[in-house]
Amino acid sequence: MIRLVSALRSLLPVLVVVALIVMVPLLSPSNRFLSLAISAGINIIALYGLSVLFGQTGILSMGHAALVGVGAYTATILSRDFDIGFWLSLPLAGVTAALVATIIGIPSLRVSGHHFVIMTFAFGQLLAIVLTNGGDFTGAATGLDLLRPVALFGADLGDLTRYYLLVVGFVALSAVASWAIINSSYGRTLRAIRENEKLAASLGIDVGRQKIGAFVVSGVFAGVSGVLLAYFLRHISPGQFSSFPSIYLALMVMIGGARLLLGPLAGGILVAFLPELLKLDPVESRILYGVCLIAVILLLPNGLIAGVIDGWRKLFSRRADKAERNASAPLSETSR
Amino acid sequence: MDIFIQQILNGLSIASVITLIAVGVTLIFGLTGIINFAHGEFLMIGSIVTWLAVSNGLPFPPALFLAVVAVAAMGFALERGLFRFTLERPTNGFIVSLGLIVVLQHIVVLLWDPNQKSIPRPLSTVWDVGGVRVASVRMMVILVTIAVVALTFVMITRSRYGRALRASVEDRDTAALMGIPVRRYITGVFVFGSALAGLGGALLIALFPVTPFTGGTMVMKGFAVALIGGLGNLTGAVVAGLILGIVEGFSAGYGLSEWTDAYSFGLMILVLLFRPHGLFGGTSGPKMS
Repeated sequence: MIRLVSALRSLLPVLVVVALIVMVPLLSPSNRFLSLAISAGINIIALYGLSVLFGQTGILSMGHAALVGVGAYTATILSRDFDIGFWLSLPLAGVTAALVATIIGIPSLRVSGHHFVIMTFAFGQLLAIVLTNGGDFTGAATGLDLLRPVALFGADLGDLTRYYLLVVGFVALSAVASWAIINSSYGRTLRAIRENEKLAASLGIDVGRQKIGAFVVSGVFAGVSGVLLAYFLRHISPGQFSSFPSIYLALMVMIGGARLLLGPLAGGILVAFLPELLKLDPVESRILYGVCLIAVILLLPNGLIAGVIDGWRKLFSRRADKAERNASAPLSETSR
Repeated sequence: MDIFIQQILNGLSIASVITLIAVGVTLIFGLTGIINFAHGEFLMIGSIVTWLAVSNGLPFPPALFLAVVAVAAMGFALERGLFRFTLERPTNGFIVSLGLIVVLQHIVVLLWDPNQKSIPRPLSTVWDVGGVRVASVRMMVILVTIAVVALTFVMITRSRYGRALRASVEDRDTAALMGIPVRRYITGVFVFGSALAGLGGALLIALFPVTPFTGGTMVMKGFAVALIGGLGNLTGAVVAGLILGIVEGFSAGYGLSEWTDAYSFGLMILVLLFRPHGLFGGTSGPKMS
């Protein structure tokens, strides 16, 4: 019971943030603001998948954008060839992305550490090459159009505000899903693998299978985010899903903090809106991302939010002495 | 047959540049454990420096020299300023290098523009050897690479410094106890690897136009070669570079050029699957105490 209460407490900040985000349309924001917010939201959904993989299991993938791409292309091709709409293509794209994640994961996870990162990077680039050379089926380098409207109970979700609310709904859903994973025994298994793979294996955890499982789970998030992306942009092309967009995804999740439930949300929002606030052009903002990433890694290895929380604690509870800090060692960091 | 030799030659000249990257990557990883994914951007900066120098009226050889020096200096600054703080946690170094990719690419876009940059070919003679058209600039690239890699090889296997270097890869602590300034060697290797990337960049722009985003593909191929050969294994990198050059030459010659980039990645994935330490065996980085 106590465990459940403390677990629910960790969900609270996210729900508060989501509730605030839902109110944004009341301020009658500009279309540009809404578009930015929608793409941030779509990224955040993918980031929740990445945080399960990187934050919980400790595996960094450079093929995440590729899995988003699998989702986006699945939705687009389903709509074109089978006349399947948004709602049905969500589960189908999730499953397809999970399948592709399995196909990539089984070989890639035989190697570990940076070999794995490089492997996923190569798979990401391979996917972009395959999509470019796919002829009419994948639309080659120019990509594909998706003009089907999104409807819910007969109401058209085409306009920005409604699509925004739809995306926020999915953000909330993926945050809750990610929270459920973190607080389940499955999440504890993954964290055990992250902290000490050999120890986990000696406790009877099938490390290889669990890692592939985590990769597949992250693939489902990516697939769903891909469908939302395709229906938002209405045009997709291979370049959007090569390994370099994956770098940006990794960057967002690390700036926010991969181990915290609030991390992906913070990372996605910061990376989308900080350049806007500082009035930077796209090139300058990319440079800023890179510098932020380097600074975060060198100075605040657990991400911005964790850094802020730590700083806050240091400032306001002098008595938070060593004993307490030791108690909140890596394993419990996630449940804050 | 003529076309075949022609394509192999073309493939080899590109493979030379890739081998220079791979040698840098392999050396840096072997000693420091740093996976510097921004190595391709170092190469691109080398090309940009060459381009700047040549378009300001400098002939190619001094421009090449300038590129090597500039990228080596950049490598020094970045190693001292960033990478040395990540030596204990190589994954962090890797992530820092990802950030560097983004920063370096866009600084170049910001200062100049995202368009292709090219220089007039430093050597324009084309020899006709028994029906095969041999562009002298390609030969120059291949020969410079052979010379530099051979020199590197001799330095590492024969010289006193090379021996000290290999000792510190074997066992960092004991090497330090024997009076080898390991920290300085780490910086030295990083700078040397960067210089190789600068050289590669200068040679690359002699062959092809370069964009600020050229580094991305090149570094992947460099890593593919380094991994196929076995990370930390110099000979392996050279042999794998040769293999890749021939394979790419083949594919370009027989009408599958749009898949050229896929071969190195496919080959790398296969090698990593069945021989995770590369075809010729590599180190798993410096041994941490």
